[in-house]
Amino acid sequence: MLKKTINLLSSTAFVIALGAISASAETKIGVLVPDSGPGGLFGPSTRNSAALAAKQINASGGINGEQIELLFADVGVPPAEAAQAALRLWKGQGAEAFVGMHDSAVREALIGRFNGQVPYVYTPVYEGNSCADGLYITGETPSQQLEPVIPFLAEKEGVSKWYLIGHDYNWPRDTNALAKGYIDDSGGEVVGEEYVPLTVSEFDSSLQRIKESGADAVLITLVGGGSVGFNISFAGFGLDEQAIRLGTLIEENTLAGIGADNANRLYSSSGYFSSIQTDAAASFATDYYTAFGSDAPALNGLGQSAYEGLILLAALANKAGSLDVAAMDAAAEGTTWSTPRGDNTMIGRHMAQTIYLADGSSGAFSVVASFDSVPSSEACSN
Amino acid sequence: MSPVLLLNLAWQISTLALIALGLAIVFGKLRIMNMAHGEFVMIGAYAPVITSMLGLPGWLQLPVCLITVAFVAFVLERTIVRHLYGRMFDSLLATWGIAILLREIVELIFGRSYQSVSPPLSGTINVIGVDYPAYRIAVIIGIFLGFIGFSWWNTRSKMATRIKAMVGNPELAEAIGLNTARLSAGAFVFGCCTAGLAGLILAPTVRIEPMMGLDYLIRSFFALVVGGLGSLEGLGIGVSIIAGTQTFLGAVSSQTYGYLAVLTLSILFLWLKPNGIHSSSR
Repeated sequence: MLKKTINLLSSTAFVIALGAISASAETKIGVLVPDSGPGGLFGPSTRNSAALAAKQINASGGINGEQIELLFADVGVPPAEAAQAALRLWKGQGAEAFVGMHDSAVREALIGRFNGQVPYVYTPVYEGNSCADGLYITGETPSQQLEPVIPFLAEKEGVSKWYLIGHDYNWPRDTNALAKGYIDDSGGEVVGEEYVPLTVSEFDSSLQRIKESGADAVLITLVGGGSVGFNISFAGFGLDEQAIRLGTLIEENTLAGIGADNANRLYSSSGYFSSIQTDAAASFATDYYTAFGSDAPALNGLGQSAYEGLILLAALANKAGSLDVAAMDAAAEGTTWSTPRGDNTMIGRHMAQTIYLADGSSGAFSVVASFDSVPSSEACSN
Repeated sequence: MSPVLLLNLAWQISTLALIALGLAIVFGKLRIMNMAHGEFVMIGAYAPVITSMLGLPGWLQLPVCLITVAFVAFVLERTIVRHLYGRMFDSLLATWGIAILLREIVELIFGRSYQSVSPPLSGTINVIGVDYPAYRIAVIIGIFLGFIGFSWWNTRSKMATRIKAMVGNPELAEAIGLNTARLSAGAFVFGCCTAGLAGLILAPTVRIEPMMGLDYLIRSFFALVVGGLGSLEGLGIGVSIIAGTQTFLGAVSSQTYGYLAVLTLSILFLWLKPNGIHSSSR
């Protein structure tokens, strides 16, 4: 009898639980991550960060009272294919909003495909200059990463002769165009500027030019493996004695590849490092490694940005009362919210945020300065 | 020409020669276009990562590198490659598949993230009036001596003569009692081991990740296209032209023009002189 009662009770509980799930309709959010291609390195940490954000959004009531469910798609593919993948989530599986961590070519393809009909949060570091209906950006732009940092380093390290080296595409070129102004304002000068093809993997001749230029600071906008190779050779030639290095896309993985031996006086500027010492950042890191294990893919600014994107999406949609683009666009300006990065404000559809400057000399980043509420020079009108 | 440029040329040419040597042996001697060549460079570069993960002393890097690469090469030769001798196009497809497989296996074991390796010699030393990384100088000298030794062996040893006999006329070679299966396997494993050795030597100076091999395959291939197959002289000419052009134009003009020139040269050679400058007599 007792056994029967327990069985009955447990099956009733099961039915009630099922009812609870089906009663709360779910809002589907498309999350676009690079699982393949050059960005594939960041796929796992991006997925994990997004999943963590969804868990926290659901724990605090979801989006406008509805629990959210994430639908992932691989966008580490050519832009046209990435847009197709997003379209399948949108029209095929009913995604009502998108968060994307991918390159700019894919972003432009998506803007064309979404055509302002679905909210879309773009999260990684990017070159700026992108505005569209329903597009909200959390990623750092060059002005945020450099405007406070260049004068700070000029003063702290006493440097004034800057050499600019980057890969040959628009992000490095746009970054350097802005950097020149900040270098000028800090009383410094640009002693060299160079762009190398993405296919080149040795930098000997560039290093020789840097040496001959007499530069005492190098601004690096090389990406991924190119940045690793450049920085290893830079230290190999003993140039770390001559010049400090500042990178705007040197995250935890890149620094691990460069290695402690080659990272003397290497600085990185970003909205996020896994070693940020605030309570919010520390508890985020604890949650991350608790949820995904101590050997989970290392936290880094690009992967973590997916978390920022989802939290912003929830904040905007809750403020607007719906996931309707017109309502969200109207509500966006001046929205404030807090994340592991700090206190953020939406200004001109970009995220004014805390910028951290970290020193990688020891082979791991230690934050040496932080600059609160740095707005982007990019501004989209509403 | 500035002394630094001379040293950069010596570095680029010597390292490319070491990287391309294995591809030249396997292609020239066995007529296998080994698209997985770069992956053996990659596996060699992971040897120091393996020893540091297992907490082994640094001197074990070389044995770990050679044993790992030789084992992988031997297994692949016995299971796949030996069926493809003399079938150039089939071998190209099969080894491309092997390359993908090896990348995925390394990714499964070590992950996609970058690894770093400390050089055994750090700092710079003053050579012909300029400060140059000490490790690079040691490597340039080592490769130079290694090639002298190898070319001496290649002209004198019975083994090299047997391989020549096997390649020139397999049936006759077997008829006079040569074990061609063993010779072929030996040549393939040897070629792959030189690639692994190149990876080990380059490891402290380059990025290390599962996809790194492709760079090395492409540049080695260009060097062989230009220099011609089947002789050490051709290899020397090819790597000098390819590495020299990139380094020289990169220094006096820009990296973009250097890379453009290398591509143009390779296309012109494939089109107009597909056997390269110094091809073997056959």
